[in-house]
Amino acid sequence: MKRLVTSLVLMFCMLALVLSGCGSAGGTKKAVSKNGKNIVVALDSNFVSLDPQDTNDNLSFTGEKTMLEGLIGFDKNMKIVPVLATSYKASKDAKTYTFKLRKGVKFQDGTPFNAEAVKFNFDRISDPKSTLKRHSLFAVIKETKVIDEYTVQFKLSQPFGAMINTFAHPAGMIISPSAVKKYGKDFMKHPVGTGPYKFASWTQGGNLKVVKNPNYWKKGEPKLDSITFKPVPEDGSRVDMLKTGEADLINPLPTVQAKALSGKNGIDVITNPSIGVRYMSMNTMKKPFNNVKVRQALNYAIDKKAFNSIVYNGYGAPATSSMGPEVQFYSKQKPYNYDVNKAKQLLKEAGYPNGFQTTLWAGNMSQSIKAMEFLQQQLSKVNVKLKVVPMEAGTMSNKIWGVTNPEKADIQLYYGGWTPSTGDADWAIRPLLGGASFPPAAYNTAYYKNSEADKLINAALQTADPAVRQKDYAQLQTKIWQDAPWVFLSTPDNVYGMRNYLKNAYVQPDGIMDLTHAEIVK
Amino acid sequence: MLRYTIRRVLGLIPILIGISIFVFLFVHLIPGDPARLVAGQDATVKDVQLVRERLGLDKPIPLQYLTYMDNLLHGNLGISLKTQQPVIHLIAERFMPTFWLSFFSLAWALAAGLLIGVVSATKRNKWQDYSGMFLAVSGLSLPSFWLGLMAIQLFAVDLGLLPTGGLDSWTSYILPSFTLGTGIAAVIARFTRSALMDVLKEDYIRTGHAKGLPRSRIVWGHALKNAMIPVVTMTGMQFGFLLGGSVVVETVFSWPGLGRLLIDSISYRDYTVIQAEILLFSLEFLLINLIVDIIYGFLNPQIRYD
Repeated sequence: MKRLVTSLVLMFCMLALVLSGCGSAGGTKKAVSKNGKNIVVALDSNFVSLDPQDTNDNLSFTGEKTMLEGLIGFDKNMKIVPVLATSYKASKDAKTYTFKLRKGVKFQDGTPFNAEAVKFNFDRISDPKSTLKRHSLFAVIKETKVIDEYTVQFKLSQPFGAMINTFAHPAGMIISPSAVKKYGKDFMKHPVGTGPYKFASWTQGGNLKVVKNPNYWKKGEPKLDSITFKPVPEDGSRVDMLKTGEADLINPLPTVQAKALSGKNGIDVITNPSIGVRYMSMNTMKKPFNNVKVRQALNYAIDKKAFNSIVYNGYGAPATSSMGPEVQFYSKQKPYNYDVNKAKQLLKEAGYPNGFQTTLWAGNMSQSIKAMEFLQQQLSKVNVKLKVVPMEAGTMSNKIWGVTNPEKADIQLYYGGWTPSTGDADWAIRPLLGGASFPPAAYNTAYYKNSEADKLINAALQTADPAVRQKDYAQLQTKIWQDAPWVFLSTPDNVYGMRNYLKNAYVQPDGIMDLTHAEIVK
Repeated sequence: MLRYTIRRVLGLIPILIGISIFVFLFVHLIPGDPARLVAGQDATVKDVQLVRERLGLDKPIPLQYLTYMDNLLHGNLGISLKTQQPVIHLIAERFMPTFWLSFFSLAWALAAGLLIGVVSATKRNKWQDYSGMFLAVSGLSLPSFWLGLMAIQLFAVDLGLLPTGGLDSWTSYILPSFTLGTGIAAVIARFTRSALMDVLKEDYIRTGHAKGLPRSRIVWGHALKNAMIPVVTMTGMQFGFLLGGSVVVETVFSWPGLGRLLIDSISYRDYTVIQAEILLFSLEFLLINLIVDIIYGFLNPQIRYD
C-alpha cells in the first residue's frame, strides 16, 4: 500500500513537470527584437562542398550563393536576370552565346573580374578530363573565347537551346581563378567569388559563416554583417530555435507545424510554389500499363487535392502538367478530375473489369510512405491492389538503375519527384520521359518512349528562340499529359519560417535560398 | 602487470586486422552504388561513371582492398567518397565533442546512479528505495528523443536558460549530457542496488557490524568496493557505446558527433568513412575492455593477471 502511494505521488510529480513543459509553450509572448546585423539560418542538412562546379545539393548552393555570383541568375520567381553579365546574345542556331561583362568588379581576393576569369571558369568545368560533379552540364561547351576584356563568347559542339538557363544554374557561378590556383583541391573549403558576403569559416558537418564583403560592387548591399548557417536535422529542434530566436530563419519548416506557428511570437511562415513535381510512374512497356486507358484510369482514380492535404498538409497543389508552373515553358493541361466511375469505366474498356494487382516502389522517408499508403487506399476503390515496398536509398538505386535491359526491369509503379535544377522545360522532361533516358542512363522509370515526343524534345533544343521553344514544349506537354506515363500528383510548396524583422530573404522555387538582399527592418 | 598490459595491447593488432577485413567486405557487399549516390539526384550516367573513376570504385574489389590495407598500414584512413576530404579530418572534428559529451554523461550518470543505488540498497523496501527505483525505471523507460525534446521545450524555449542545440559554449553540453546520461544512471542505479544487496548479506559485513564499525564505513568502504565489479563492467560497456555517438541525441540537439556521421556515411555508402569509424569504435571497445580488466585487479586483489 505504502509503495503504491509513493509511486502515485511520484507519478503526479512527473506528470506535472511534463505538463508545465507543454502547457506554457503556447503562452509565451516574447517581444521580438534584434540587436546587431548578424543572422543565424538553420537548415536541415550539412553542407557538402563550397565549390559550385562540384556541388549537386541545394543546401551547398544556398551557402555558395551568398559568396559567389553567376554571369546571369534566377530571381525569386525563376526569371533570368543579369548579374555579372550586363547583356547576352544567343545565335540563331543555338550554338554561339556571347556575354558582355560588368566592368569594375573585383573578386574578394582582389583579382579583377574579366573575360579571362570567365574563360578560366568554363575551361575548368568543360574540360573533358574534368571529374567535377557538374561537368555534364557544361560539357557541351567546345570553346570559350575572350573577345575583349569584357566580352566572352561560348561555342557549343552542338545546338543546345536550353543553354541560357544552364548559365543561370548555380553551378555556373564564377570563382576566382587565383584562389583556385592557390588552394587547388582545397578550394571547396575556401571559396572566393564576387558576391556580397565573403567566406569566414566552415567546419564540415558544422556551421558555415560568411561576413560582409565591404568592396561589393552593388552600392548599398549587403545589408547584414554576417550570416551563420547551422545544420539542424531534427524538425522539432529547428522550430524551437526559431521560437527562441536562436535562429532568425529556418528552412524547411515542417508543414505539420506551419499553421500553429504562423503569425505568433513574431514568426512569419512563408510558403511559395516550388518547381518540383511529384509523380507515380507506370512501366509503359509492361502489362497492364502498356495500355493508355489503364494509365488514364489511374489518373482519374486519385484525388489529388486529398493527396496534397494528406501528404503535404495542404502545402502543395495538384499537378497541372509534367512540370511545375514556375518552370520555363510550362503550359497548363486539362486536369484529370477525380472520378472513380470514369476510372472504372476505362479499366473495363481496357479489359480489366475486376482490376489487377501491382507493386509500388518508393523511398523509405516517412513522407513517401504516407504517400504510398494514400495511393494504395485510393486505388483499392477501383480494385487495383497495390503492394507497397518502401526501400532504402542505396537499395532502391540498385533496383532501378542496376537494370541494363529494359525488358528485364522489375519496376511497375514508382513514386518519386523531380526538381529541374536549370528551371528549363528541357531538364524537366528529357531526363524523365525522353526515349534515350531509360535507366541506367537517366530517370525514365516509366520506360516511356514515343517518337513524336522525342522529336519535339530534340526540336526544342535546336534553337534558342523562346517563341519557337514555347510552341514545341506546349505541344510536348499535351502529348505527355494525354499519354499519361505518370499519375500526375502534386507540385509541393516550399515552406520556411522567419522572425518578422527579417525581410527580403527568399527560398527560390528551385529550393535554393537567396539571402543576398536580406535585411533587418525594425 | 606491465607485461600483461603489453601482451594485451599487442593482442589487439590481429583482432583489428580481422575487423578491417570483415568491415571492408561488409560495406562492399551491401547493395547500393556510392558513385550514383555521390553524383546526386539529377546526374547523368556519364557523371556517375566519372565519379566512379575518380573514387577508384571501377577497380576490382581485391585490388581495392589491397589499396585500402596499404594505406591503412601507413596510417592513412583514406579520402571520404562524399566530401573528398581526408577521413581522419572528418573523424577528428567530431571525436572531441563526442568524447566530452560521453564523459560528462557518464560522469553524472555514475554519480547519480551510485548514490541512488546505495541509498536504495541500504534503505531496502523503505520509501527511499521505492523513489529511487521509480526514478530508475522511469529513466530507463523514457525514450531519449522525447526526454530531449521536453528538456529543450522547458529549459530553452520556455525558460530561455540554455541553448536548444549545437555546440557553441560549455552550456551546450548540459541538455545533451542530461538526456544521454538518464538511461545510464538508471541502469547503474539498478546494478548497484542489486550487487550491493548481495554483498550486504555476506559474513564479513556481519563481522564488521559485530566489531562496531560505523555503518557508513561498512557500506561505502567495504561493501561498495566489492559490489563494484558488475557495475564497472557495465559502465565500461556503456562508455564504449557512448563513444560510438548517439544518433538520436545528436539529431535532437544538432550535435556534431560521430553517430550522425556514421548514419550519414551509411546512407551515402561512404565506404572509407564507415570503415574508419567502425575500426575506431572497435579499438575503443577493446581498450575499454582492457582498462576494465585492469580495474578488476584493484577492486579485488584476488584476481591475478598472468
